[in-house]
Amino acid sequence: MKKILIVLVVLLMASALAFAGGEQEGAGEAEGEQVQKEEPLRVVLYVNGTLGDKSFFDSAHNGLEMAEEDYNVFAKTVEGSYDSSRWEPDLTQLAEGDWDIIIAGTWQLQEYLEKLAPMHPEKRFFTYDTSVDYSKEGLDNVYSILYSQNEGSFLVGALSAMITNSDMDKANSEKVVGFLGGMDIPVINDFKVGYVEGVEYVDPDVDVLVSYAGAFNDPAKGKELTLAMFDQGADITFNVGGETGLGGIDAAKEREQYTLGVDSDQYKIFKETDPEKAEWIVTSMMKNVDLSIYRGIRKHIEGTLAYGEAEVLGLAENGVGVADNENYKRLVPKEYRDRVQEIADMIEAGEISVGTAIGK
Amino acid sequence: MSPLLDSIFSSDFGFAVLRVMTPLIFPALGFAITDLAGVVNISLEGMMLMSAFFGVIVGAFTGSLLLALLAGILIGIAMGAALGYFHLKLKTDIILGAIAMNMFASGFTIFLLYVLTGDKGSTSSLKSLVFPEVHIPLLRSIPVLGDILSGHNVLTYAALLSAIVFFFLIFKTPLGLRIRAVGQNPDAARSVGINVDRVQLYALMLSGLFGALGGLYLSMGYVSWFARDMTAGRGWIAIAAATLGGNMPLGTFLAALLFGSVNALAIYIASVNIPSELIQMIPYVATVLALALYAIRVQKRRQKIKEEALEEEYDSGPPDNPPPAAAKQRGGSS
Repeated sequence: MKKILIVLVVLLMASALAFAGGEQEGAGEAEGEQVQKEEPLRVVLYVNGTLGDKSFFDSAHNGLEMAEEDYNVFAKTVEGSYDSSRWEPDLTQLAEGDWDIIIAGTWQLQEYLEKLAPMHPEKRFFTYDTSVDYSKEGLDNVYSILYSQNEGSFLVGALSAMITNSDMDKANSEKVVGFLGGMDIPVINDFKVGYVEGVEYVDPDVDVLVSYAGAFNDPAKGKELTLAMFDQGADITFNVGGETGLGGIDAAKEREQYTLGVDSDQYKIFKETDPEKAEWIVTSMMKNVDLSIYRGIRKHIEGTLAYGEAEVLGLAENGVGVADNENYKRLVPKEYRDRVQEIADMIEAGEISVGTAIGK
Repeated sequence: MSPLLDSIFSSDFGFAVLRVMTPLIFPALGFAITDLAGVVNISLEGMMLMSAFFGVIVGAFTGSLLLALLAGILIGIAMGAALGYFHLKLKTDIILGAIAMNMFASGFTIFLLYVLTGDKGSTSSLKSLVFPEVHIPLLRSIPVLGDILSGHNVLTYAALLSAIVFFFLIFKTPLGLRIRAVGQNPDAARSVGINVDRVQLYALMLSGLFGALGGLYLSMGYVSWFARDMTAGRGWIAIAAATLGGNMPLGTFLAALLFGSVNALAIYIASVNIPSELIQMIPYVATVLALALYAIRVQKRRQKIKEEALEEEYDSGPPDNPPPAAAKQRGGSS
């Protein structure tokens, strides 16, 4: 028994240490770099994780790079690792540093921004995929970007329902589709709500299996969960779970079933390295973080950006959408694609309103 | 609901159980051998991670599955040897040493991942190799059993075989005898001329070998790439499995099978409309329950031995002290 106790204690200690021991890539180095020329706009992106996720943070970084290319912008991305104890001091340091715009996304940093922004009224802050609480004082210098992932998910949900009812090659007779979520949290559930509503909009009789892996970094589990959904009759699944979701795509390749990517155009990501995998990615629900950050910086330079409020980027603003690539055209009959476009137009026009899991 | 039940009672489910247990049984055996030798190795998580990484990298850059296998195994053995060096030569506490190895493995693989691929998430930009699946000629044609047992990754069969290899290693070879002797009483072993440090070092290196195979399966069988921290706690669950199995081959195998089954069950019922936290608890609740049952059983056996000793006392005067270790040994030999 004693041994088991020891093992448990050590387990606890080890996990605590592992959290404390993320890679070191200090915010300190971000400071003190002097750039000559005619005073470029100095923009820093703080990532509360690391780059390389093939979707969310990489996309934000990409948006910043696009802005640096097109405008007189000096840009830097600081990776804060997944160690949450570092985030606040890092952000404080960046806010005190020589930056014009500080970009920090996700709901996990929201609180720190609400604290820092009033203390630095001369600075400008962007946040994305979340919004600061504007009922608080002194947040006139913060611009918040929200994405209607529920709208984008509605479209791929509708597409899934059409596919499971179709006579496409790998569609089976059962009316079942699947949703793989990384964790049971509001942002992921916003995808889910949209997806389920999209499915029901086309055919209320279709069952949506919903599985959560409980982690964003366990592709083996993501694969296993997706295989189980295929076993239960699903013929297309939607993977929303970072690295875990990549396991879902692997499952689709193994079973030769359809799957849907998320955030970035995942067909394009795998087209070169693993074409046999890519061909099963019917399309991806894009969350255009890059475009939204680029757009924010552009509007700041043009002087038209509305600080002090949140902007929701949906289908109309190109904040989300369906990846229109050659694989989508190859796999999906034109009539379905037209129908998806039709539904997108209806959402844009406000004729369909999609439910949300955010703020509930 | 009925498609769910259908799927649980289908051969797919049995197949999934074997797939899920493969990355548990290797490290469980890896832990068992060190625990038997008296050098508890809790760095299996790190060993698996390193092997998973080096297997993919070497495979991708050389195009040779054999070299990938060798690289993965060598790095696992090297990790075991390094831990042995820290503990046996430099006299570090083995638990602390192992924690350091785990943290090192997590950081180092991400670092090298970035250096080699420019990516901090996964190696999905590399064309990596995968160990082949094996269809067993006769077995595959048996209706249900064939569907469950045939068509697995070659490493899954290796996992099943390794439990048997482990049995022979521990009970039928001189090294196995020494490992058990050293673990039970290092001083006694030393007094008969056994080089305790060397035997413990071998145990740690063998542990690295088992851990390596588990890691290779994760990145080159289960999925076909390396992702940061992809072991996701399997090295720890494996320790529980080995402890539950009393560090014995059959026990460890059965414990891994149990964990594989409850994990697979949790995966299959994940799609039912129950709060996901409850479902994700299932494997851990099962672990705690199993460990509790195991502890009760050991306790009872100890009690019995005590009673027997007392009876003997009545029969024949003062007893020879009943060795407390005996209870554990007997308890484990299930």
